[in-house]
Formats: sequence, structure tokens, C-alpha cells
Amino acid sequence: MNDYDAVVIGAGLGGLSAASILAKNGFKTLVCENTGNLGGCCSSYKEQGYTFDTGASVVELWWIIDELFEALGKKTSEYIDWIPVDPIYGFLNADGQRFTYPVDVKGTRDVIEGFSPEDAVNWDRFARVGSEAINEAFGRIMTTPFMTFGDAMKMTAKHPSMIKLMKYMGMSFESTLKSFFESEKVRASMSLQSYFIGLPPALCPGYIAFLAYAEHEGIFYPRGGMVQIPAAIAKCFEEFGGEIKLNSTVKRVLIENGRAAGVELVDGTQIRSRIVVSNINAKTLYLEHVGRENLPSWAVKAIESYEVSIPAPMIMLGLDTSPDLDAHHTFCYTTIDEMNAIWFEDYCSRKLPERGFMLVSWPTHADPSLAPEGHHCLNMVTFAPYELADGDWDDLKERYLETQLDFLEKRFGLEGIREHITVARVITPKDFGKMLLHPRGAVYALQNDIMASAFFRPRLRSKAIKGLYLTGASTHFGGGVPPTIGSGIAASGLMIKDYG
Amino acid sequence: MKNLKKVVAVLVLAGAIAGWFQASESTRRYLKHIGKQVPYLPYRYFI
Repeated sequence: MNDYDAVVIGAGLGGLSAASILAKNGFKTLVCENTGNLGGCCSSYKEQGYTFDTGASVVELWWIIDELFEALGKKTSEYIDWIPVDPIYGFLNADGQRFTYPVDVKGTRDVIEGFSPEDAVNWDRFARVGSEAINEAFGRIMTTPFMTFGDAMKMTAKHPSMIKLMKYMGMSFESTLKSFFESEKVRASMSLQSYFIGLPPALCPGYIAFLAYAEHEGIFYPRGGMVQIPAAIAKCFEEFGGEIKLNSTVKRVLIENGRAAGVELVDGTQIRSRIVVSNINAKTLYLEHVGRENLPSWAVKAIESYEVSIPAPMIMLGLDTSPDLDAHHTFCYTTIDEMNAIWFEDYCSRKLPERGFMLVSWPTHADPSLAPEGHHCLNMVTFAPYELADGDWDDLKERYLETQLDFLEKRFGLEGIREHITVARVITPKDFGKMLLHPRGAVYALQNDIMASAFFRPRLRSKAIKGLYLTGASTHFGGGVPPTIGSGIAASGLMIKDYG
Repeated sequence: MKNLKKVVAVLVLAGAIAGWFQASESTRRYLKHIGKQVPYLPYRYFI
């Protein structure tokens, strides 16, 4: 006798999206979440009157969220109050030059024209290809289950614009930018997005470069902090009768006769269900929760072959003043070669990040209610190894904080910011590993190479264990708010087809 | 038929070699990176 139709492991965006659609379609569904918070890498926490976001900092490709709410028969606007974010980025380059890219495509063209008149024309071409890529390909493939090579062929036949994009699958992000832009300054200003899937411009697939255009379709911040997105989905889920158990850690997936039969919690409680849905890292799921003994040898070999993604340590600052910045995001950059060196010279040598690179998010620019009156929040993100050559993260946390604050003062021009800090918290890759059960602190689950994408990424419907479904950053299309919600939409479609 | 297969194989190989030498350093580094994962694809396709 089953306790539930479906048990979902993890209340990240993928798990909550799948759970809410299942509940809407009459599946008795339970979500077990390890922590006391919703959202996984799209969450927020409160400290001394400040609300800090842990992970995602804005939403682009927002129509995927609308698609989820439509599937639930709801209106997004009744659950989430979107604040438009404009300009998209403020930039600081190595020469100390400061500029912004507005959401308006023409406005960005004007800024680029100031650097390179040729690249203003090239921007028009990039925006045309980007618009096709985003609206006709990305927007659709994120909610489509890529289970086989045949699925990809069918998708391409239905949306021929995907053929144009295939060219960029055989090119790196760096080569793609070079094929469009002449100016090193312009290329470098669009290079950050490669790290949005956890890879340097040299190794990131070329089609990801069009994310630099995607942001011009509109970019939003949910009033109240990023946690409002998972909270809104969870609210819908509970309205359909779904149950969420926080602080409830799953120890293993029950396997009977080669199929998933429920889960066992760390306290020994067994919960039986027809379907088990995972929203955790696929390596943890298969190698620890399912267990090698329950997997065919080819499945073990497949899952072991994936590299986990790069970790992203964060620093949260509460300030008693307004920082002198220009946008919700400020990106301090140098050149694409430097962006690659973060990976090849620092990350691969297990160095503490001390190079001049950082993304600073300023959420109180969009939503002042996240801090006490007159105060502000800054979230600083870099990329760094899980294990450091110089020692342990716990011992080097202070050095890391001081280095990044120096950088904030000198490169960002925020002289004297230290005197205005009321809260400073470092979340290291080890902290993320413990909090969110991310193996080696991997923020985007599995490395998102082209050879670990689409039907070469762990499937939404497991091929190794019957009744086991996957969602989230480990699955097709990878990490990020829209892709993980898209995975939940696509996976729930398969479950309803199989068990509805 | 057997000869045709051989011709196609030689043409694909020649194309790949020519493409490799025409590719930029950046593209070669990218192709080397993804090439290392090719042996795992038959396993990954079935997970």
C-alpha cells in the first residue's frame, strides 16, 4: 500500500514545479526537503533585518515561469510581484571605465557604438540571431524532454531555427563571441554568461553566448527576495493538497524488483510511493541514494563520468549606506584571457580566488524593503575550488573575505565601504555542500559541457530504475531558474503520461 | 558498397583533419575538451 503517488526529494525549483503539476493532476504528492528553506539555489534568508539571496539573483526567460503557472491554471502576477531590472549590468573594466547595458537593445547598441562602430552593426546581427535562438529554440527546448536522439530530430524538424544554432554547438563561447565582435572590450563585456553555466569562455558551448542577448528580452526581480519564486510555487502546490516536509532528509531510495518504491528518511521512516522524483544532484541520487548495488554497471560508469560543476562562494554584506554602483548587477572584468585564467590557472590549481573578477548583486537597488530604511544588501559572487591548495576553507574564510573587500574598495571604487558594513557573512563551497547536499559544493550540479547536455545528460525519466524521475540542474537544460523550472514541467509531463 | 563505405570514411577523416588545421587555437582547445568525453557518450546516452 503506497502512502503517496509521488515523493519528491528536494524542494528546489525543479522538484517544486514537478510536484505542483502532479498535485494539480490529482497525484497525492509529498516533498521532502533536507533544509528548513524552500528553493535550493534560489532562496533567501534573513539576518539582522536584511534579506540575502543565496544563489540566483534575477530572472531572465521569465515566460518559462508563466508557462508553469499556466499549467497550474494560475496567474503568475497573483503570486509574484515582479520588479523590472534595468539597466541589466553595470560594468567596471581594467581601465577604470564605468558603463551600463540597458535592457533596450537600441540603448545597448549606442553604448557599444562608443567602443567600436563596427561592433554596433555586429550587435544588430548578434541580437537577430540571439532573438531567434532565445524565442524559437531555448524557450522551447527547456520544457521539452530530450530523451532520445529522435526527440532532438523531431524538435529540429518542428523548429528549423535550431539548425542555425547547431553551428555554435561545435564552437566555444569564446569563438562565438569572436565570430561576432571585433573589439576585445565588447567581447569581454559579454563573457560573464559562460560562468552562468559554470564554465570559462574557452570551454563553454557557443550557443550559451546568446544569453547575453536573452537578458534584453526582459529581466526581473521578485519583490521580497528570490525565495518568493519557490514560495509562490509551494503555495500553489499546497492549494492542490500537496504536502511539504522541511528538515526531512532522505537517506535512500527504496528499490524493489528494479523499481523505485519510495524513500527512507535518516530517522528510519519509510515512505512508500508509486513514483520517486529527485531534485538533488544526479551523482548523489544514483551513487548514494539508489546505490551502486541497484544499478547496472553501465549506469554506474555513466554517472561516474560526469564532472560536478564549479562551486560559487558568496559573501553577503549588510551596509548602513547606499553603495555607489549603477545597476542591480555590477561585473568587474578585464579580458576573456583573464576569464579563462580563472579556470585554467586558479581553479585547476586549487587557488583561493584573488584575481580581479567578481559579480556584485545589489538587490536593494530593485527592492529597498529587503533592508532596514537607508540600509542596503550586497551579494558578492566569485568562482573557486572546493578543495584549496593552501588549506581548508574554514581556515581561509577570513583571508578570502578581506581579499574580496580590498577588491571591492579598490576596483569597484567603494573606498571606505568597510566602515559601513553591519553584517558580513561568507558562504563557502563547503557550506553550500553541507546546506544543500551539493557534492563538492557544485552550484550547477553537473558540468554543463556540450557532451553532458540534452540526451547525454541524466534523463528526466531514469533509464536505469523504473518509477524514478529526475528534475533540476542535473538534467537537461542544466542550472538556472528557468531551466530548472522547465525540467519540472517536462518531467511532470512524462509522469502524467506514464502514471496518470 | 564496401568501397563506398571506405571512401566515405576517408572523406570524413580528411575533412576532420583539414578542419582541425583550419580551426583557431581557441576552437582546438574546446574540441580537445569535449573530445575527452566522447568515450563516455555510449554510457551517458542510456542513463
